[in-house]
Amino acid sequence: MSHSETHAEGTNYLNCQKGIWSWMTTLDHKRIALMYLFTLTFFFFVGGLSALVVRTELFAAGAQFLTPKQYNNFFTIHGVVMVFLFIVPGIPAIMGNFLLPLMIGAKDVAFPRLNLLSYYIYIIGAVMALISLVPINTLPFISQGFSDWLVNTAGLGGPVDTGWTFYAPYSLAKSGTQSAVIWMTGAAFVLGFSSILTGLNFIVTVHKLRAPGMTWGRLPVFVWATYATAIIQTLATPVVGISLLLVIMERVFGVGIFDPTLGGDPILYSHLFWFYSHPVVYIMVLPAFGVIGEIIPVFSRKPIFGYKMVCGATFGIALIGFVVWAHHMFTSIGDTAAYVFSFLTFFVAVPTAVKVFNWVSTMYKGSISFNTPMLYAMSFVFLFMIAGTTGIYLATLAVDVFYHDTYFVVAHFHYTMQGGAVIGLIAALHFWFPKMTGKMYNETISKLTFVLVMIGFNLTFLPQFVLGMKGMPRRYFDYTGLEHFDLLQTLHATSTVGAYINALGYFLALINLLYFFWFGKTKAPANPFNSLSLEWQTQSPPIHENFAETPIVTDWTYGYGTKKDA
Amino acid sequence: MSTPTTSNAIESGPPHVHHMDAPTAYHAAKLGMWLFLATEVLLFGGLFTAFALYRYVYFAEFQAASVNLDWRMGALNTAFLIFSSFTAALAMDAAQHGDNAKVRRNILITLACGVVFLVVKYFEYKGKVAYGLFPYGVKGFENFLFVGALCLAIGASGVVIFTHNAKLKIPTILASIALVVAFYFLKGSIATISFDLANLFPFGHAHHPETKMVFNSPEFNTAYKSYFGLYYCMTGLHALHVILGMGILFWVYLKALNNRFSANYYTPVELGALYWHLVDLIWIYLFPLLYLVG
Amino acid sequence: MFRYLPEQASKHAADVDWIHNLITDLSVLFTVLIVGAMLYFAWKYRKRNGVDHETPQIEGSHTLEIIWTVVPTIICIIIAYYGIIYYHDIRKVDPNAMTINVTGQKWFWEFEYENGKKTTSEFVIPVDEPVRLLMQSKDVMHSFFIPSMRVKRDVIPGSYTYLTFTPIKTGKYQAYCTEYCGDSHYAMLANLKVVSRAEFDAWVEDKGKIITDPAKRGALVYKAKGCNTCHSLDGSRIIGPTFSKLFGSEREFADGTKAVADEVYLRNSIYNPNSQIVKTYSPGLMPVFEGQIKEEEMLDVIAYIKTLDGSQPVVEVEEEEVVVDPASMTPEQRGELLYKNNACIGCHSLDGSKVVGPSFQGLYGRQGEFEAGGTYTADEAYIKESILESNKNIVKGYAPAMPAYQFKDEEIADITAYIKSIK
Ligand code: HEA
Ligand code: HEA
Ligand code: CUA
Ligand SMILES: [Cu+2]
Repeated sequence: MSHSETHAEGTNYLNCQKGIWSWMTTLDHKRIALMYLFTLTFFFFVGGLSALVVRTELFAAGAQFLTPKQYNNFFTIHGVVMVFLFIVPGIPAIMGNFLLPLMIGAKDVAFPRLNLLSYYIYIIGAVMALISLVPINTLPFISQGFSDWLVNTAGLGGPVDTGWTFYAPYSLAKSGTQSAVIWMTGAAFVLGFSSILTGLNFIVTVHKLRAPGMTWGRLPVFVWATYATAIIQTLATPVVGISLLLVIMERVFGVGIFDPTLGGDPILYSHLFWFYSHPVVYIMVLPAFGVIGEIIPVFSRKPIFGYKMVCGATFGIALIGFVVWAHHMFTSIGDTAAYVFSFLTFFVAVPTAVKVFNWVSTMYKGSISFNTPMLYAMSFVFLFMIAGTTGIYLATLAVDVFYHDTYFVVAHFHYTMQGGAVIGLIAALHFWFPKMTGKMYNETISKLTFVLVMIGFNLTFLPQFVLGMKGMPRRYFDYTGLEHFDLLQTLHATSTVGAYINALGYFLALINLLYFFWFGKTKAPANPFNSLSLEWQTQSPPIHENFAETPIVTDWTYGYGTKKDA
Repeated sequence: MSTPTTSNAIESGPPHVHHMDAPTAYHAAKLGMWLFLATEVLLFGGLFTAFALYRYVYFAEFQAASVNLDWRMGALNTAFLIFSSFTAALAMDAAQHGDNAKVRRNILITLACGVVFLVVKYFEYKGKVAYGLFPYGVKGFENFLFVGALCLAIGASGVVIFTHNAKLKIPTILASIALVVAFYFLKGSIATISFDLANLFPFGHAHHPETKMVFNSPEFNTAYKSYFGLYYCMTGLHALHVILGMGILFWVYLKALNNRFSANYYTPVELGALYWHLVDLIWIYLFPLLYLVG
Repeated sequence: MFRYLPEQASKHAADVDWIHNLITDLSVLFTVLIVGAMLYFAWKYRKRNGVDHETPQIEGSHTLEIIWTVVPTIICIIIAYYGIIYYHDIRKVDPNAMTINVTGQKWFWEFEYENGKKTTSEFVIPVDEPVRLLMQSKDVMHSFFIPSMRVKRDVIPGSYTYLTFTPIKTGKYQAYCTEYCGDSHYAMLANLKVVSRAEFDAWVEDKGKIITDPAKRGALVYKAKGCNTCHSLDGSRIIGPTFSKLFGSEREFADGTKAVADEVYLRNSIYNPNSQIVKTYSPGLMPVFEGQIKEEEMLDVIAYIKTLDGSQPVVEVEEEEVVVDPASMTPEQRGELLYKNNACIGCHSLDGSKVVGPSFQGLYGRQGEFEAGGTYTADEAYIKESILESNKNIVKGYAPAMPAYQFKDEEIADITAYIKSIK
């Protein structure tokens, strides 16, 4: 509650209040952002370690150190944690929370209490998800009877082994490990609710709290991206609520909705799942697009090329993203539906293309320096080209018939989610690190990290495209004796090696940032990369209420050009 | 807009930093509530669509099943909700004129209507349960009620604690505890008690012996299950919203007790009323859909 | 570039690969263009010796925006178009396609032919003839995928789905389950054999050659019923207990009770597995084989398991032993095989048309005269003679072109039977 009206030199949002409690109960968007940052990093590592387990099992043919069931548990944990607990809240909750008010010259988001509430709702959701992923009923001190009760009544028979898609009817078994799916669905709903509140908060903030002179036409690209994302979050999430209710109806009232033995339709479940989970992939990536749109101009000393198109495209993607969900189900839906959804899917490519072209054109005739954020931004363009164009294969009906549920898909979505969203987040963390912490990170270490991540990542997932081309299905515990066995063996081994290099890279990045956050000597100036957008116009790290007095915006954010005429 | 101007701004803005002037805070809050209502509409919209689809598929069975609902109960509740919506509006109007006493009065009436609504709903459900139209029978129903009471108690105490209301803190908490304890010990007997009541009541369940069916009986096929599944989910979810709305209004009431509202600060009343209108609106759709279109 | 797709074994594979490769080339092109441009700019406009040079305030270009909106749109529409029409071909069922019923179940595939022949984890189809797989699932969702045929379709409980294709190459191919279905999802494989029509007929009719050794028969059942997906022979633990050294060993159950794995125990745990679950194994995984394994088969399986006590090498059964055995063919079939395998087809048509030699159609019983004069009636004796000493007397209007064949008498008989059958 207490905050210093007078800003003694050196007071900032990090040190203006002391003690863990002041963090737990903070209403400051910047602190909430940091709390998300640490929580999500934790889950990233959980997901990452389970990925390493998966990769290690696949290193050689035959069972290495897992049983098939354990393997299934691990890729499920990996997928669920990475998607629902890490990358979906990811950039909006961390960067959005930190930057949105700063970028529009506000002192906080519209509803700080709601903001803190979303964080705790997220925590509740995360706990529910973890519950369904942990074999509670097998804990040593639990009696047989109690364990049965846990599994059959409380639905705590985890760990879930359904994959992150929870396809019916496999996920409907009331007993056994799948019983925990009810918790998973519940978790998805609670997490979704948290993201609704965040989205709602952002929308209102952008509408009502823009500093004088910060017209819509002057908003930074990242704000537009977060705004579009917020809209998706608010509109798509209620569907999860409906799904949950339907699951309850099936579980409690025995209404045949998904379960064929009750006269239900398993495909309906897939529809509901993807109706939410496809837009979700754009929740992951749109903010990343925003980040790239901020970084490239700054390090090229050029205004973002085609500002209106870039922002418009964001909405194009967001809207079209709502009508393509069934492209995940080409091999189970009717032919006509397949035609329609395939056709629609292609039109997501167009606005995305527009963005890519504009980013590159921004560098034209610029004055380009290669700080770590810029390196990540440039690699993003490369990785996302692969990610996107492989999406085009999958959108093509005749080809998806071959690629569906093969490693080609696995490679595709790692390029999008990791090469896209995660790299975007890492770029952002480096770019705004000085602002968030008031320290500078070490460029050399960061560049080394960058190299490790690039080598590791591509080494992990490029081979998986070839695996897919050879028809290797995903979610396979073992590949002994499959067609092209020898090739599969080499590719899998390579991929595993890559994964470890990649892991090392991330680990180094983590150490680097954490170390310089706490022990960094070099104080960051207010605006180390002399960017023009508002968040850099206040001290680093910002004071508790962001700006000493409300900034008056007089010009477009991107006036980087120094000489007239083109 | 750097420094706070009116005490109302302090009231509306978060205490840690007065980052909005009163009008902005007001408009922001309103926009936020509208967005939230939008998501609520989407949520129920999905259920309505589901109902429409199933009704289309199992037309005959749905008609047969719907005779188990008593339109008189529905109508009664509709009346109460519409009236309460009206009083909520009055409260809002009173707040704009800074008449906190009038706000309190109208809120109380609204809350009362809410309670009546829930009581009526209770007897309706009871009727179904007694009639064997509930998968878990009487016992299960009682457990549901108990959980319900628990949530209610926690919610109420939560509100008073959160709003640091000195006057009502202790009483409310005690009342909540009492409620839970009562429910817990009455559990066995609630059934019987309310049975008699249910029989005393002229209605509660439209008795159509020829269509008598029991939830877990074999002839109670998917169609009927779908109908009652949807019935319980939609009305249940709506009931939850009624309870939530009552919570919000209760919180508003507490603020009114401290004469917080004035011509330039009445946001909570307006939002509370808005939410209550939504609850009402949803019911306005539920009633004909479930009770009237046979 | 990047042409890694497996061999094209079905009619439509070439089309699929064509559009696939078109996308590849376009994607590579665009990636190279975009990333190329990016790197070029990065190098050309790099900040030199630490000082920013002047930069123009270029805010955009309508022409460019239009170009890079329209061009991708057009490309996308083209790709979408071909994707859709080829998909249409993939799904189109040939009216006289042979139907095979496929049943997916945790975790093996069963195939049933029109003539009632049933196989597990392996199926055979004739080359160059359209087939239609009518698929259903007994439990959860599965998905049937044959990479070389470029086909895949989910197998959904509570409804039928179908797959159709026309194989154009004989050979062995692999089919996978590509919808996650639980523990042994990875082991839910099937082998596809594409063979000549004759071999196929032989195979469908074949009720299996008589194997005298019960252990061998057991080994066949072990393979055919997919036991191998869960029970190893080398002592390793997959899903279920290994069969190695199983017989006679002591089993301890979840409830602590014990029993010795004798015939009674084995039979019971195959027919209703869940009645006795061994410690550390979970119930409900093993399908109930009641009614799926015949009593006599059961004896064979037990005999087989007995042999796995480590004292003797594991009984292995060669694929060939299972498939075609001429002995079980009709003479006509054997005849047709010889006709095909000895290139008779090169000179003797089956449709009455004159190629080099006389057509076989309606040949039997035909009457005619020789170059050298004299008449003949095409009976057994005549056919035998004209095969063994082909150039002894040439029918009018034909050249002495036919090589002499050394066929055994029974083979001659078969061929004659075959020729007789061609009316
Ligand atoms: C951040 C996440 C993300 C993003 C951004 C995308 C982007 C896209 N995805 Fe992806 N996708 C996933 C995450 C994502 N995807 C996940 C997680 C799955 C698997 C889920 C599971 O099954 O577990 C999946 C699966 C998936 C499938 C289903 C595959 C299957 O299971 O059979 C399909 C099919 O259409 C698809 C298509 C696309 C397309 C067309 C895009 C487009 O948005 C891409 C558009 C971008 C470009 C095309 C590049 C830029 C374009 C140009 C420079 C113009 C020049 C290029 C052309 C003209 C072609 N994706
Ligand atoms: C944001 C999403 C995201 C991210 C970032 C990743 C990251 C990775 N994924 Fe992910 N993956 C998914 C989302 C994601 N994945 C999803 C949704 C699925 C589908 C699941 C399903 O089928 O249901 C999937 C499935 C999946 C599979 C397929 C499994 C199968 O189908 O059988 C594989 C296999 O290689 C894989 C590998 C990896 C690897 C190696 C990484 C690596 O890049 C991870 C690198 C990160 C770390 C390793 C953590 C940080 C570093 C350390 C932990 C260092 C070590 C720590 C110390 C020394 C203390 N993933
Ligand atoms: Cu069957 Cu996977
Ligand atoms: Cu998608």
